[in-house]
Amino acid sequence: MGVKLYKEPELKDSIMFCGWPGIGNIGLIAIDTLRGVLKAEQFAEIESWDFFNPRKVVIEGGLLKDLEFPSSKFYFRRIKNRDLIFFIGQQQPSEGGTRYAEGQKAYRIANLVLDVAEKFGCRRVYTSGAAVTQIHHSLRPRVWAVPNGPDLIDEVKGYENTVLMSGIEGRGGQGVISGLNGLLLGVAKNRDLEAVCLMGEIPYYLQGAPWPYPKASKSVLEVLANILDIELDLSQLEELARRVERSIEEFLETLYRTEGIPSQVIDEIEKLRYARQTELGPITDQEQRKIMEHIDELFKGEGWSDEEHR
Amino acid sequence: MKNIVKFLEQPQFENPSLIVCWDEDAGKLSPQVIEYLNRKIKTRSFCEIEPTGFFSLGGVAIENNVAQFPEDRFYYSRGGNLVIFKGNEPSFERYRFLNAILDVAEHYCKVKELFTINGTISATAHTDRRRVLAVFNQETFWKKLRGYGLESMNWQGPAAISSYLLWVARIRGIPGASLWTEIPFYLAASEDFQAIKLILSFLDKRFNLGLDLQELDEQIIKQNTKIARLREEDSEIDRYIGVLESGLSLSEAEQTELIKAVTEVLEERD
Repeated sequence: MGVKLYKEPELKDSIMFCGWPGIGNIGLIAIDTLRGVLKAEQFAEIESWDFFNPRKVVIEGGLLKDLEFPSSKFYFRRIKNRDLIFFIGQQQPSEGGTRYAEGQKAYRIANLVLDVAEKFGCRRVYTSGAAVTQIHHSLRPRVWAVPNGPDLIDEVKGYENTVLMSGIEGRGGQGVISGLNGLLLGVAKNRDLEAVCLMGEIPYYLQGAPWPYPKASKSVLEVLANILDIELDLSQLEELARRVERSIEEFLETLYRTEGIPSQVIDEIEKLRYARQTELGPITDQEQRKIMEHIDELFKGEGWSDEEHR
Repeated sequence: MKNIVKFLEQPQFENPSLIVCWDEDAGKLSPQVIEYLNRKIKTRSFCEIEPTGFFSLGGVAIENNVAQFPEDRFYYSRGGNLVIFKGNEPSFERYRFLNAILDVAEHYCKVKELFTINGTISATAHTDRRRVLAVFNQETFWKKLRGYGLESMNWQGPAAISSYLLWVARIRGIPGASLWTEIPFYLAASEDFQAIKLILSFLDKRFNLGLDLQELDEQIIKQNTKIARLREEDSEIDRYIGVLESGLSLSEAEQTELIKAVTEVLEERD
């Protein structure tokens, strides 16, 4: 059980980018867009059946043709004399019914990903996910960056539109990254491998929404483009972000009109539109909980309400 | 395998066939078939899969006033040509669980083939002929079983645990088939004796078991009589079944009404 290699490209000092589904699919969209724009080529795959249940069976004329599992694939690309590896997972392995990575399987898959990283000379890993925060959906999301070693802090500070945990008021440099994004950072640290998690901000009232949040993926991609010193054509992603934003506006408008949520909740969301991101949230934790009770009810069973980056 | 599987005794086998049945099944088909088989050919349990890691063991579920606990056991027939696995579908670690079944089947029993027994809910009437739809994991095995009245099927969608087992068996080179017997939807919550008899007849023919199925014939007559009486007493129910008999479909509300009426009448004591 392990990794199936289709090709053994000769890579040196490579950088790996990992994306999985999560809140707003922010990390997955960011990394997969980068992979697509750079036209990376598949070279390996984790044998998925030990980690996931099958998604689909194909039976034709009485014959079992295929059983499809969520894929976990590796891609590579050389750009500007730099070797890049991409890992795209269609699902996070979990135990006990949670939707984000947890338990032994998550630990095993994190190790398999890093086995491939090390085999192909990787020196740095980037993961990406969501940072649930008090931001309005009309504002440009920042990127919260968490490195797995103090030596990386100065470098991370230099990234544009990025903030360390200590830069977020009320956090005091503390927090938790759930799922594989966090686990991979820790496992990489154990292997003395540099890793940084980049989390795009998503409004807390959208964390349970069934839609993607490409606006935050774009913020993450801008940081990655800077790191790689490349220009990226993000027009498709920008268009998607505009469409999603319009849908959010329409959705909230409908709720306002039909009084689907109390006026207090509407007011609190509107306050965020004009708040400065560096300010402590304009509402208290207690008020936020009250708002979430109403918003969660609307998205019940549809989103990723079980995952949170705090 | 040592920690997952517990052997109660170690019988000898000569390339037997494996029959796999899951406890939860439409029309109670799978558990009833095995219960009948175990009784008629006098099987003995020889091995079980430990529930740890496969089921939530934080407590017990209660069904019909009785505490339940997952039970996944292998049985063997006296002649040694048949191995039966009867169990609950695991809640976690399905791949490891299916491999545990096949480890026992392949390495200990050295099975030559496997069959899974399943019911599939159908929009047909109880008076219609039941079909047994089959899925094979090898083309050659399918050819071998022509002449048993099995019908092929097409499906793309969620994978049942039996399909997953067939897929794992194919990797190991074990030929296998899932047999899906049609169960009229309004018998799914009760027992479909006609379907149970149909699949037992297949097993009887395939393995020369010499089964006496008279008991089932009596139950089929009794069940059909009860439904016939219901049709006489309730013209709407008679109409619903008539619609199904003519190959047409019912609305959701009509289906619910039919299920309720038939379940109630079948639950009545004789």
